[in-house]
Amino acid sequence: MASLRRGTPGPGTASGPQQVVITGMSAVSAAGRGLDVVRGSVLSGTPAFSGVARFGTGRCRTDVAAQLPGEPDLAGELAQVIETAWAGAALSNGHRAGCPLLLALHSSPVAARDPGTRQVTGGTAATVAGCTGLRPVPRTYMTACVAASTAVIDAATMIVTGHASRVVVAAGFLVDADSFALFDAGRALAGDGQVRPFSAGRQGLLLGDGLAAVVLESAAAAASRDAPVAAALAGWGRSGDAYHVCRPRPDGSGLARAVEAALARAQADRAEVSYVNANGAGTQYADSSEAAALHASLGPYAALTPVSSTKSVHGHALEASGLLELVITVLALQAGRLPVNAGYLAPDEECELDLVLGPGREPRGRYALSLNAAFGGANTALLVEAA
Amino acid sequence: MTTAPASTPVVTWPREEPPPAGVVMLARAEWPASAGDELPSIPGFILSSFSPLVVEVARRCLSLYFGAAPADPVRGERTAVVLASSTGDIATATAIAAAVDEGRRVQPLLFFQSNPNASVGYLTARWGLAGPVVCTLTGGDAMSDARHCATLLIEGGDADAALIILADQARDPAQRDHGAALLIGPRSWPAAAGGLDFPAG
Repeated sequence: MASLRRGTPGPGTASGPQQVVITGMSAVSAAGRGLDVVRGSVLSGTPAFSGVARFGTGRCRTDVAAQLPGEPDLAGELAQVIETAWAGAALSNGHRAGCPLLLALHSSPVAARDPGTRQVTGGTAATVAGCTGLRPVPRTYMTACVAASTAVIDAATMIVTGHASRVVVAAGFLVDADSFALFDAGRALAGDGQVRPFSAGRQGLLLGDGLAAVVLESAAAAASRDAPVAAALAGWGRSGDAYHVCRPRPDGSGLARAVEAALARAQADRAEVSYVNANGAGTQYADSSEAAALHASLGPYAALTPVSSTKSVHGHALEASGLLELVITVLALQAGRLPVNAGYLAPDEECELDLVLGPGREPRGRYALSLNAAFGGANTALLVEAA
Repeated sequence: MTTAPASTPVVTWPREEPPPAGVVMLARAEWPASAGDELPSIPGFILSSFSPLVVEVARRCLSLYFGAAPADPVRGERTAVVLASSTGDIATATAIAAAVDEGRRVQPLLFFQSNPNASVGYLTARWGLAGPVVCTLTGGDAMSDARHCATLLIEGGDADAALIILADQARDPAQRDHGAALLIGPRSWPAAAGGLDFPAG
């Protein structure tokens, strides 16, 4: 294929009433429920991986994941993160009925065993919408590891094009026996029980529970009710690799186009990016492709911009990853400290990046990127601006 | 198996639904197109008809507009893919669950085909479609919802054109799978080779 054209900015501006802002958010990871515990885990770089107790792993090559205790209920957990984000946005119940809800989910293991369901998510979206009273959009995003970030981009587009003034996006994944067996069969899981993004000796990913919700609003809608603003979603970009069923383009050019589109939409300079929360799954080929994408899109600033993958702490939350990591990126800007790239062993010459290898580093600018890449060559970039 | 009502096209853009400004239909296709229509298998995809359905109906649609694969790089780069389904890949999900419940190892090829992105990756690699990828499961009218997703992609500036694919597996052994594909794009693009150029709306 010929070299790819640079991303084209669409509607939406870096500032002004059409800007998209985040007014409420919540998150759950294996570290626990709530922003404080999730923030604490990533800023300290404390991995949450342990032996799987939720189901048997006897036929698998490894038995490690990042899991909440017990057997949490996905719909119930989703309803709770939405309620928490809604409360954080200081919204009243009167706003609920008119507010669209976009959901990103993984296939349901329950639905796979229920011949009467006839749908792979088994109606979780309708259940969650019913619990929360939000306006259900009859759509569940299943675009693999960019499902949630794709939902965020659609929500932002709905706002900047005037289709909505406020949208709730929620996503959830709870590690289950089917997913674990599937990733084990694909030899994708790290045999050494640690996720080591961009490091020499990385062996793969590990799955992790993850749920998150955000309330996105137009700046005008937020201002009209004096809403608290956690951060602005200043830019976004998405692209396809047109390369392979499951492997990313080695030169990272697809993901680079998404980054360039996000920067262009925000009218931000690549030198202003103070942190990158990378996709960083911890697999050999995907991490090197992502490093190439950062060099292609940020140029000389790629080596100067702090990078970490918080999957090294909370694991891979599949369809929910993009939203959990967006929330963490906002938390990092708010805290003025950067999440740690845990599990690091030694440099990999194919991943020459300024990795955040210990706690306490501070962002040096107002923008941060949250990147995600998925099977089928789907890429997203979300550019967050500190409030 | 009975024959799906292939003579009733469900792939369209209703006049009451405003399309993105300046966008027209460029091509459309459905599967099955006849009682004897069969899905070609795809190397690396097993057990389920879902991915073959996606790839085949997309091929039929894209061929009408672009001719043989790949698309030209300029238009291909700005063409997104939206894959919507009201069922998802039931057969693959069921096969994985059965292996887990019976204590067998899951077949490695199911690892990637378990997600709809894989079939999209297969077709985008061959056709050179490098726009965004969106895969959804829809509780209601999957094609209607897919049109909304495509509208957001184009109105938001993420793509100039979109290949919208609907893929539903049969919910009953007496039925057949059904697939549909619709290519929409800028009015400024060249008209389709076969004269297909339906004004949207």
